Amino acid sequence: MAYTRDTEVVERLKPEAVTPEEQAAMAGVEDLDFEIFQHKMNMIALEGKETTMKLGASTGMRWGDVAFGIYTALGDLSVVATGIWFHAVLGQIPVKYIVKHYLNDPTVGVEAGDSFFFNDPFYSGVHAADMGLCVPVFAEGELLCFVGANVHTGENGSAEPGGQPIAAKSRYEEGLMVPPIKVGENYTLREDLMTMLGTATRDPRTMVLDIKARLAACRIVERRIQAIVAEKGVAFFRGALRKILATTARAARKKVSKLNDGTWRQPRFLDIVGSEEKLVKIGICLEKKGDKLKLTFDGVSPLLDNHPQNSFFQGIIGLAMVYFCGWFFHDLPANNALLDALDWEFPDKTIVKASGDAPTALAPSVQTCFVHGIFLIGARMIYNLDPKRAVASWFSGFGVPYFGGFNQWEEPVADISPELNATGAGARPDQDGVNGAGAFFATMSDCSDVETTEADRPFLYLFRNYFKNSYGPGKYRGGSGVGFGVAIHHVPWLAMGGLGYGSKYPATLGIFGGYAVPSGFIQTVHGSDIKKHLAESDRDLPVDLDQLYEEGNPEKGNRGLHNITMGITPFVNGDTYYMPAGGGAGYGDVLEREAEAVMADVREGLVSRETAANLYKVAFDPETLLVDQEGTEKLRRDAFQERKARGVPLEQFEEEWAKLSPPRSALTYYGGYPHPKPKRDFGLPF
Amino acid sequence: MKVRITEYLEVDLESQKWCCQRCGHELVDARQNYKKGCLVAEKPLEEVYPPKPEGQAYGFIPDPDFCRLIEFYCPGCGVMIENEYLPPGHPLTHEIELDIDSLIERYGRA
Repeated sequence: MAYTRDTEVVERLKPEAVTPEEQAAMAGVEDLDFEIFQHKMNMIALEGKETTMKLGASTGMRWGDVAFGIYTALGDLSVVATGIWFHAVLGQIPVKYIVKHYLNDPTVGVEAGDSFFFNDPFYSGVHAADMGLCVPVFAEGELLCFVGANVHTGENGSAEPGGQPIAAKSRYEEGLMVPPIKVGENYTLREDLMTMLGTATRDPRTMVLDIKARLAACRIVERRIQAIVAEKGVAFFRGALRKILATTARAARKKVSKLNDGTWRQPRFLDIVGSEEKLVKIGICLEKKGDKLKLTFDGVSPLLDNHPQNSFFQGIIGLAMVYFCGWFFHDLPANNALLDALDWEFPDKTIVKASGDAPTALAPSVQTCFVHGIFLIGARMIYNLDPKRAVASWFSGFGVPYFGGFNQWEEPVADISPELNATGAGARPDQDGVNGAGAFFATMSDCSDVETTEADRPFLYLFRNYFKNSYGPGKYRGGSGVGFGVAIHHVPWLAMGGLGYGSKYPATLGIFGGYAVPSGFIQTVHGSDIKKHLAESDRDLPVDLDQLYEEGNPEKGNRGLHNITMGITPFVNGDTYYMPAGGGAGYGDVLEREAEAVMADVREGLVSRETAANLYKVAFDPETLLVDQEGTEKLRRDAFQERKARGVPLEQFEEEWAKLSPPRSALTYYGGYPHPKPKRDFGLPF
Repeated sequence: MKVRITEYLEVDLESQKWCCQRCGHELVDARQNYKKGCLVAEKPLEEVYPPKPEGQAYGFIPDPDFCRLIEFYCPGCGVMIENEYLPPGHPLTHEIELDIDSLIERYGRA
């Protein structure tokens, strides 16, 4: 065995070949028994997920950044309970690694009572903050299956707290990255390894509690599975688990075959590299022919040697499955057999195919930037087949505070805050997006109660609610985002930063003429006098993110505005930090939005009067806010005519447009504007 | 027969043209980028997003050095068929390229 990363096993995202034993076992599974089996397995996986969440300590684990899977003995993920759909195809890789490397290795082995831990993103696909644990399940002395939980624990001892170091220049600054290792035998965790994993991080209590939570859930699920085997037998279980994959693959290809043949394209742009405001590009093509989809790329920026906005290709495929599992294949089981309908080709040495020692800690930015393109392609591709599901995108740009220090109980903390789970959903073809819906990549997650977060995090929330114009406008608007502000409280200091993108180029674009979400940014006030105002119950303090930027805000101090990606910075007691969790994207032409719906948003404080009048072209009485129908019709007729007068034919437009370019300073890492090319190969050994 | 492709676009199988779903205006050959049949304009970002906070390096309006907003209108009725947010000068996207022969085979001729 070579003591390096295994580049073969990560290619095995599609289901393993069916073994003769599985084939024979599948033949013996009756349809009715199969239906009952699937239902039971889904409920068992859900119990595993819920147990993990209830026992864990990290923000991600407590608020739903959790996937609980049941894998075949070969490692394919057959059943999963999650809203984190990328785990439906990525969670299997560590299991296949264990099967490949340890099953027949006399120094490790796979036995009943073992448990395996992993967080190397090369195998888990996303980033080292995502950690997993799985256990083998045996019956009648044979390896029957694996079960396991993948969760965002976060803190992993990287150069910055929270597991996503912005300043990382190689993977050696990205903290603990563990390929699958055995951490428990005989149903017992090894204390020496728990101590090692705990002391490798800033927050050992959370690290070890999260591991124990995963294991406890695995043991419950193991018992449930053994009960089914006791009733139905080993062959039935083995055959039925495999049959889920076989039926999923057939159904996936059948559904794809219903789409029109064609090619869809979407360029995507990320506006941050490390903490520098730079543009990089991911040009996406998706071809559909017959019953297959094929993902290729048309211009991707080169691999970033010294900045962590790179992704392994497997993470890109994983994020593609957020769209496919959650939206297009919403009526099929979520497992890696869905990939039977998808092929792919990745360009080497680009930000979507990291290699060597390049850092990948901010791979989630690259991956979500990419998959937003898949959402846009998906809406255009499926409208003809299923128009009600051709929706605008949920917010995709993150917007997450990360922090490290000690809490009010003098315990070390290093984590992210849960508001990334409160973004707005995209607008739909027949209604607005849901306000504060969740996270598109974690649809079963929650943003916590403010009081719960305050109980063991050194924050005092100043407000957390919807705010005006936080979403993409359209015929139907995106769901409102959530703005929040916190003061450092109870502790003398805390280090804080911010993660995300979209301060310069919008993170989330609209569909069919709907608009993108507005830019996001952070405000900080060091040396703030906020606590004096709070003590005086000052009613002039802003109560939402829109008011924060109006005249008359009484908070004084050293105010600063920052990119949504902000390097880790010391804050002291009373300093304040304000950030948006963005809204959803818009759908359709704003001039088709019902005037009454616009005014309802004005009354609810979700859109400004200026936007109602100037963008939506609604005439209304400023006192009563009642719509002037005739006035609105005239404004809109004029607006349609004005467009026709202003617009020019495409070729004429392109003559002037082609002369423009972003400033050279924005293109440092782009790789040749406008069509980037991969790095030249100098024959280096990676 | 017209086949609905997006909120605002149809393909007329008989003429093999992209058409506006709202007014029926024929845009361009369905084998080409539908944008070639649209009226195109750049819309100032400040007409869409609130100018807050004013005069600062960061705000709710995207940075025009990084991003411009291009709108595509139906020449017949003026409805906005689609828009694109692109860095200045970046080529416009041929985002939907249907296999028209396959489409005709699927739906049959009108």
